[in-house]
Amino acid sequence: MENVVYEKKDLYYPVMSDILSVETLTAMEKRFQIAMPENQPLNHKPGQFVEVSLFGFGEAPISICSSPTRSPNFELTVRATGRLTDKMHMLEAGSRLGIRGPFGHGFDVDVFKGKDVLFVAGGIGLAPLKSLIDYTLDKREDFNKVKIIYGTKNPAEILFPKAIEEWRQKDDVEFDMTVDRADKSWKGNVGVITTIIPPLQLDVENTVVAVCGPPVMYRFVLMALKAKRIPDDNIYISLERRMKCGVGKCGHCQINDVYVCQDGPVFHYPHVKSLEEAI
Amino acid sequence: MSGQKPKVAFFDFTGCEGCQLNKLNFENELLDLLELVDIVEFREAMDGKADYYDIAFIEGGISTPQCIERIHDIRRRCGVMVALGQCAVSGGINAMKNLHPSEWVQEAVYGEDKYLFPSIPAQPVSAIVNVDYEVRGCPMSAPEYLHVFKSLILGRKPEIKDYAVCVECKLKENECVLDKGMFCLGPITRAGCEAICPSNGQYCTGCRGPVSNINRDGAVDMLKKHGYSTEEALKRMKMFNTNEIDKEIKWGR
Amino acid sequence: MNQKLNNINEMKCQFLDENATYDFLKFLKGRSKVFAPHRKGEASYIYDEVSDVKDVVLQYPRTIQPLKKYFLPPRETLLSFNIDENNFTESEINVEPRIFFGIHAYEMEGVMRLDYTFEQGQPESNYLTRREQSTFIGISYEPDEYHFSKSLGIDIDSVDGFSLYFKKTDNGYYVYEIDAAGQQLMKEFGKGKRVDIPVTKEEPEFTNKIKYHYNRLPQIFEHVYDSKVWEEVAERCVGCGTCNLLCPTCYCFDVRDEVEINATEGKRERFWDGCMLNPFAEVAGNENFREKLSSRTRHRLYRKFKYITNKSGELHCVGCGRCSKYCPADISITKIINNLIDDYADRQQKQVI
Ligand SMILES: Cc1cc2nc3c(=O)[nH]c(=O)nc-3n(C[C@H](O)[C@H](O)[C@H](O)COP(=O)(O)OP(=O)(O)OC[C@H]3O[C@@H](n4cnc5c(N)ncnc54)[C@H](O)[C@@H]3O)c2cc1C
Ligand code: SF4
Ligand code: SF4
Ligand code: SF4
Ligand code: SF4
Ligand code: FES
Repeated sequence: MENVVYEKKDLYYPVMSDILSVETLTAMEKRFQIAMPENQPLNHKPGQFVEVSLFGFGEAPISICSSPTRSPNFELTVRATGRLTDKMHMLEAGSRLGIRGPFGHGFDVDVFKGKDVLFVAGGIGLAPLKSLIDYTLDKREDFNKVKIIYGTKNPAEILFPKAIEEWRQKDDVEFDMTVDRADKSWKGNVGVITTIIPPLQLDVENTVVAVCGPPVMYRFVLMALKAKRIPDDNIYISLERRMKCGVGKCGHCQINDVYVCQDGPVFHYPHVKSLEEAI
Repeated sequence: MSGQKPKVAFFDFTGCEGCQLNKLNFENELLDLLELVDIVEFREAMDGKADYYDIAFIEGGISTPQCIERIHDIRRRCGVMVALGQCAVSGGINAMKNLHPSEWVQEAVYGEDKYLFPSIPAQPVSAIVNVDYEVRGCPMSAPEYLHVFKSLILGRKPEIKDYAVCVECKLKENECVLDKGMFCLGPITRAGCEAICPSNGQYCTGCRGPVSNINRDGAVDMLKKHGYSTEEALKRMKMFNTNEIDKEIKWGR
Repeated sequence: MNQKLNNINEMKCQFLDENATYDFLKFLKGRSKVFAPHRKGEASYIYDEVSDVKDVVLQYPRTIQPLKKYFLPPRETLLSFNIDENNFTESEINVEPRIFFGIHAYEMEGVMRLDYTFEQGQPESNYLTRREQSTFIGISYEPDEYHFSKSLGIDIDSVDGFSLYFKKTDNGYYVYEIDAAGQQLMKEFGKGKRVDIPVTKEEPEFTNKIKYHYNRLPQIFEHVYDSKVWEEVAERCVGCGTCNLLCPTCYCFDVRDEVEINATEGKRERFWDGCMLNPFAEVAGNENFREKLSSRTRHRLYRKFKYITNKSGELHCVGCGRCSKYCPADISITKIINNLIDDYADRQQKQVI
């Protein structure tokens, strides 16, 4: 036993990276543009995440919201909800933070190719989906129809108004959105996201769906998609769990026998459908 | 809170001063910490000279109408409010009097003069105003107090533990007092004290209050297994936490 | 799968009486750091570094913390940082040869289960570095009412992972040389009396047992996810986490940043954590994916008998009995399993009728 030497990796040291710019999106969310040392590309896939680290404030998993087609830098959209994320919101361009990753299993872009693509985003779930949306738009000819639907609590929480305006302008993208509660300025749909699913014109066999949103949203969206007769096989969802390592060791992110940080966060819906703890 | 030193004030309510004394046990660390803040003198605070505190530490529970007025006033003038010690967090031992009719208590304490001292049931600070963070324990737990203090100076949310004292006890590989035939409230009491009592061969009296989402009946069953009647088990559990236990646990199985 | 003593014909064996065993410990101590069981408090045992060999306990039921504490410490610094300079220093893990003496078979199996965990997927250097240069010397023991490793295929005399194995006999130990390193140690020690492989006595009986053969357990666990047994256990469990923390194959951890008193320097530390604890699966918005004690207990047992087993091919409970011995609510893992088996058998029967 004495001389065993293992193949092994340092898993917990972050790479110090630069914040190039910080943009305030809403009262709760900011977008950070980040450069790895020497502008190394992150080499991520849409749907993957990084562990962001600030010394004294800990770490948190954050989805990469930019497409790898727009590297070498990458973007994170962060909602201030606690220890680390509150502190992140106090940072400005020129600050540095630690990055580990990219981690996890992203979207298999190949299964989306040649298909109609439907994106269903709720709240901050638009951030992780945006990496795949931008990827799709940058390689537009690889995909058939592109539809994006998005729901937020109220108009003040709309995440990427500029991008949304562009999507609305494009002929080759169909975009629709809704808010749970309207204010005076709001002229669009009012109601939860499931209210704008029934009117969609879909070639169901040929449509692949990517869903991301808060935990409560999934059950209802999945029901609405089922009502549209979209086969489960065509659905991909991105899930969130508490994470302490990102590399399949700390155990926090488990759903039954699945590790969200390794097997997910993006799952083929049939894979997690039967897991009681999933949705 | 960046830039100049945060302004910090301490306020005393109804307590046993045990927490004050306890602070002396880690004076060295405390002195270093106090370097990083601007302590508003107690008098100044009383005179209302300082009009704003970044951090207000509240010791003791609320048990007179005057207390209520005062705590509202402090709340209006502070950024972060921290309740220190079990009296402030849950009413603490003071809340034991809630078990008896209030007149009886007043007579026992003040005798003839009872009507001169209006008293209300002992309540935690959080029953009156919004409390941001709590440092539990009777006396309050030094490790948690230092953690909260350091976190606030850093400008971050403290990480308050919400699991059993047993966890800290096992991390230290203490001999479990149950194996010595003692009883122990560690399995249902909130960690944060680094299991100081079992580490010194004593049982945990539950001074930091119950963990949240506690298994109500299971806890009583457990204590019965350790040789206590339901009555005794209840008494043990309520010692420091009458209010919390009454709220959390619907008895009478 | 397990190497058993009786199967190994060419294994060399020597006899050491009790005094010679302590001499052997002294000899080991002259070579490297030695860790062995010691007394703790009134009625407990812990592994500790040997300073005086006389303090080593040769026969003991089990230690409080399992051997994992040396490879996955209860509290470990992952990195040290300086907030003002916004940089960090890596934490050094020094490897030095270590000998672990007086280890029970189930404990050794526990270490090998953890090896799987830290080698698979992303092989973690913290654990694996600590794990290198370790030599294990096993010892036999008398099972108490909590041990049940035999029900999981781990005999008292299972010697996988050991370099030497000490088997208690009337006035000393038969010492079996399991691998080359062990052989070398005995040769250098030189005080053993060579004996022919003794006919191994019947192993002492385990009183604590699982009703079915361990091969059938994964199959049982296919069918008991919705069993009423989980609710029954949850009525008594208080969620203290003891059964996780002391389990030799549990490895979940929490990570926290803590600063020094100057609020500038600090450490990122990890701690043992457990899926029985309430906050373990909490996420934003006060959502808790395993809020109920029944689902937490189920998760704990599925992690031992199914989830990891599906991938590794081995059961991840080794039958040490710690979770039951130290549970303040007297919850016994063998009772849970046996109740699950009964429940399963019951339902099978009803289906047949
Ligand atoms: C794969 C993945 C991708 C994510 N992507 C994004 C993103 O793009 N943008 C974004 O703003 N947020 C994202 N999150 C959520 C984000 O990680 C949490 O909000 C963050 O951990 C909170 O950290 P904190 O230190 O600021 O808050 P804390 O003070 O630690 O916690 C605040 C609250 O969040 C809960 N919480 C802690 N950790 C998590 C967690 N990992 N997931 C959910 N809740 C948690 C706590 O229980 C607490 O209620 C993602 C989470 C995952 C798992
Ligand atoms: S001594 Fe008390 S706190 Fe410590 S492990 Fe035993 S029961 Fe838990
Ligand atoms: S061990 Fe128990 S009684 Fe002692 S300080 Fe901690 S919570 Fe209080
Ligand atoms: S040790 Fe016992 S009471 Fe504690 S969590 Fe485990 S089963 Fe529940
Ligand atoms: S589950 Fe219990 S008996 Fe099995 S290895 Fe873990 S602590 Fe030992
Ligand atoms: S985040 Fe640690 S195992 Fe998945």
